[in-house]
Amino acid sequence: MSRKLSPPNIAILAGGALMLLGSFFAFYEYKIGGVSAGSSNAWDHGLFMVATLPALLGAFMALQVALQAFSNIDMPPRLLGLTWDQVHVVLSFQAALLMLAWFVRARPGFAELHIAFGAGYWLMAVATIVLVVAALMRTAATRRRPRAV
Amino acid sequence: MNDKSPTPAELTILIAGGVMLIASFFRFEGDTSVWGKYVFPVAALLPLYGVIMALEVACTSLAGMKLPRRVAGFTWEQIHLVLGLMAGLMAVAWFVTDTGKKPIGQWIEVAGGIALAVGAVRMQRERHTGAVG
Repeated sequence: MSRKLSPPNIAILAGGALMLLGSFFAFYEYKIGGVSAGSSNAWDHGLFMVATLPALLGAFMALQVALQAFSNIDMPPRLLGLTWDQVHVVLSFQAALLMLAWFVRARPGFAELHIAFGAGYWLMAVATIVLVVAALMRTAATRRRPRAV
Repeated sequence: MNDKSPTPAELTILIAGGVMLIASFFRFEGDTSVWGKYVFPVAALLPLYGVIMALEVACTSLAGMKLPRRVAGFTWEQIHLVLGLMAGLMAVAWFVTDTGKKPIGQWIEVAGGIALAVGAVRMQRERHTGAVG
C-alpha cells in the first residue's frame, strides 16, 4: 500500500498542498489611503483561471506523488511520452514562469487606491520555488540511481 | 533552403505562431495589447510560446538548419508537445477568465494557443514518437 516517500516527493506533496492553500488566501490586497479595502484570491472574479492555473499545476504534481505513494493505482511509466520526472519539471517550471509573470506585471492603481500582493500570492510563490527545486532533485536522484542491466 | 515541404502539423505551428505574434499587437484586454502595461508579461507568454515553436519549425523544416537533438534532456518533439499543451492550457485559462468584453486580439491568441496544442499533438503522430495514440 504505502511506500516510503523520498525527500523530493515529500517536498512536492508539501509544495502542492501549500500552493493550493495559498490560492484561497489574498492574491491581491487593496488599500485606500493606507486603510484596507478588501482583497481577492486566485479563485475570485477576474483572476480565475489565469491566477489559479499555477495552483492547479502544483496540485496535479502533488496528486500524482500521493497516488503513486499511497494508492494501489498502477501509474503508467510515462505520460504523453514524458517520464514522470520530466512531467514534474515541466509543470513546476510552467507554474514558476506564471508566478514570475504575475510578479513582473504592473499593478493598476488609481489616485488613493493601492494594490499589493497578499499572503496568498507569497505562499504560492514560495511553494513554486519548492516545487521547482523538488522536481530537479527528483530528476537528479533518478539519474544517480543505478539501472538494471 | 530546404526542398522538404512542411508537414500539416508543422504548417499548423508555423501559421499559429506567426498569427499569434501579429495578434499580440492587437488589443488583448481593455485598450492594451499583450505587451502593454497591466497585461505584460502574463498574457505575453502565449505568443512567446507560439514564436518559439514556429521558429524551431522554420529553422529546421524551411531553412534546413541542424539543431541539437536534445535540449536539457528533451527532444524537440517533446518540447513542442510541452509548449503546445501549456499554450493550450493558458488559452483555455484566458478564455475562462473574465476580462470583460474580449477584444479580437484575445480571441486570436486563444485560438492560436489551441492550434499550437493541436499542431504539437499531430506532430507526435507524424513523427511516430509514440507519445500519443
